[in-house]
Amino acid sequence: MDIFVNRRRVLGMGGAALATALMPRLAKAQQGQDINVGVVLPLSGPSAQFGINSKNGLELAVEELNAAGGIKALGGAQIRLIVADSTSAPTAAATAAQRLIAQNEVVAVIGAYVSSLTLAVSEVMERRGIPLLTISYADQLTERGFKTVFRLNPKASTLGQAQVTGSIEIAAASGAKLERAAILYEDTAYGTSQSAGLRKASQAAGLSLVMDEAYPQGITDVTPLINKLRASEAQVVFAVSYLNDTLQIVRTMRQQKVLLPVVGGAGGFILPEFASALGELSEGVLSVNSSNYDLDEAHAKRYRDRFNYPMVHDAIEHAALIEVLGQSLETAAATTSEALRGAVAAKRFEGGWLDGMPGGAADFDDTGHNVLAEPIMIQWRSGEMATVWPTERQKMKPVWVS
Amino acid sequence: MTSLVQAIIDGLMVGGVYAVISIGLTLVFGVLGIVNFAQAEFLMLGMYIAYFAWAALGLDPLAGAFLAFGIVFALGYGLQRTIIQRVLKAPAVSQVFLTVGLLIVMENGALLAFGSQIRSVTTAYQTKSLQIGPFFVSLPYLAAFLMSIASGVSLWWVLNRSWLGMAIRATAIDPMAGRLIGINIDRVMAIAFGLGVGLTAFGGAVVLPYLSVFPTAGSQFVVLMFTVAVLGGLGSVAGAVVGGLAVGVITSVSALMFPIQLQNLVLFLVFIAILALRPDGLMGRA
Repeated sequence: MDIFVNRRRVLGMGGAALATALMPRLAKAQQGQDINVGVVLPLSGPSAQFGINSKNGLELAVEELNAAGGIKALGGAQIRLIVADSTSAPTAAATAAQRLIAQNEVVAVIGAYVSSLTLAVSEVMERRGIPLLTISYADQLTERGFKTVFRLNPKASTLGQAQVTGSIEIAAASGAKLERAAILYEDTAYGTSQSAGLRKASQAAGLSLVMDEAYPQGITDVTPLINKLRASEAQVVFAVSYLNDTLQIVRTMRQQKVLLPVVGGAGGFILPEFASALGELSEGVLSVNSSNYDLDEAHAKRYRDRFNYPMVHDAIEHAALIEVLGQSLETAAATTSEALRGAVAAKRFEGGWLDGMPGGAADFDDTGHNVLAEPIMIQWRSGEMATVWPTERQKMKPVWVS
Repeated sequence: MTSLVQAIIDGLMVGGVYAVISIGLTLVFGVLGIVNFAQAEFLMLGMYIAYFAWAALGLDPLAGAFLAFGIVFALGYGLQRTIIQRVLKAPAVSQVFLTVGLLIVMENGALLAFGSQIRSVTTAYQTKSLQIGPFFVSLPYLAAFLMSIASGVSLWWVLNRSWLGMAIRATAIDPMAGRLIGINIDRVMAIAFGLGVGLTAFGGAVVLPYLSVFPTAGSQFVVLMFTVAVLGGLGSVAGAVVGGLAVGVITSVSALMFPIQLQNLVLFLVFIAILALRPDGLMGRA
């Protein structure tokens, strides 16, 4: 196994070196010293698409921040992102974080998108007392008494509950009553903790779970799952999956004529590739989400113009993390990890890139959980994601396709 | 009962694909005597060729499979003549390092060349199935199965009925004797390697309608491929077919009784039991 880790690490280092070399040199005079911020994201392997979206969001937000004069409290210091590839292996992610700390004197680390990777990175960060800003969903990230982890997004279990509650409400609005549901989830940290939320909310809502099954992430044949699903007589499927497995599940259901509505649990359901690969099968599919581009169209347009790709939630939230980091550095007026950690923990953040978040703001409690985070639901409509739930955030009325 | 029959149908369908991707591995071992750890990367390559043929030329992946076979055959032929041939007489460790090195180069090369995004084709039959009574036969699975069987039969014909096949078999049995009776051993080995990786690439292309391609797509199949080849008997083409079908059915039926997460556990328990009784695999050459 060692050889794989090393190979990817070497590649990651190469990628990081390349990324730093290609970073645009800004015309602005650099008065203060650069502030190094570590970034650990999956840039190769099956989760790479998420890593790339995240990285683009970070880069755009940092470019704009630097161009606007950097951190004024620190004499216009510029933020410099040092990017490392976490691959898809937790050990590689932890090693990447360790290297960033040892070699680049980073004040904070942002990452690692995939919950199981973030968990590994957070262990390293906690030992070194350096803040870790993340958007990963897994509940346990902020439930281990760590002082350095700050999570912008709702917990996976909260998303799971929203997935159930939102579906029940949307179905009820069109006169459908949900009684039996099935849960399919990938078996790493994200799927497992989100499924716990699904289970809890289903129980609370009196929804009986006629199927509840985990599957390995690299699955290549989902037919056994779909056969079980057909036999289960569920009325709705809650799926918590990344892209590769999502496509297999949706296509195989259609093949086997299991025509139930699938309600996604973020992950692969909220990528543009979902709609491009599935075409008309994507129309009307609902998914829970932690932010969406129609909530802040001004920022989203800048992103779309720049990358020719919609500003997906990973990009929005990572840009929002830069907002949090920038505002914290202004408050701390220092580049020590301790001062920065204190500022992130104490301050309430709003404005700028945070406008794209459903709550529009961030305020971290003692565990590092953002108490203002809110889950939403989106629906695929003509190839775009529209925010449809809850009603107060709604940009379009939802349709229940059963 | 219905679900058991359905599981067996599904298992046979995917098993057919497992067979064709593993035939390549077993053929290379049988003729060249080396274990090609990079074999699954040729599957990934086949998927990419079929994907780009679909994206750029509008070619269905099932037709693209022939293109994938052709291109990868040529690549395999070239690779054998230039680098694999040099380690044929080297210690096993060198052979392992070479093929693992090739794996690393190919996977990262794909990452550089194609980027990391997950790509997937859209075809009309992708979401269709045949319904026979209470049973469903997925069309993309059926297509992949039929294509795999056809390629397996073609290979069998080549090996058993053509001069080339005889030369390949002779080389597998005794290269020295083959050379003495006038077979160009180096060429035959290069052809065998090309056929082996070409078939795996072909298998990659035919599964593209129901799977997606990305640089590490091959790694999903590595363990499966070796399980099939070893279960059937490494070096035996018929063994790969039997092994592939067996692995497909075992994993599919086990999902009826156990959670799908235990699929591999059940598979490997059966695997260990079979190897304990028949150390050379189901169709192993004694």
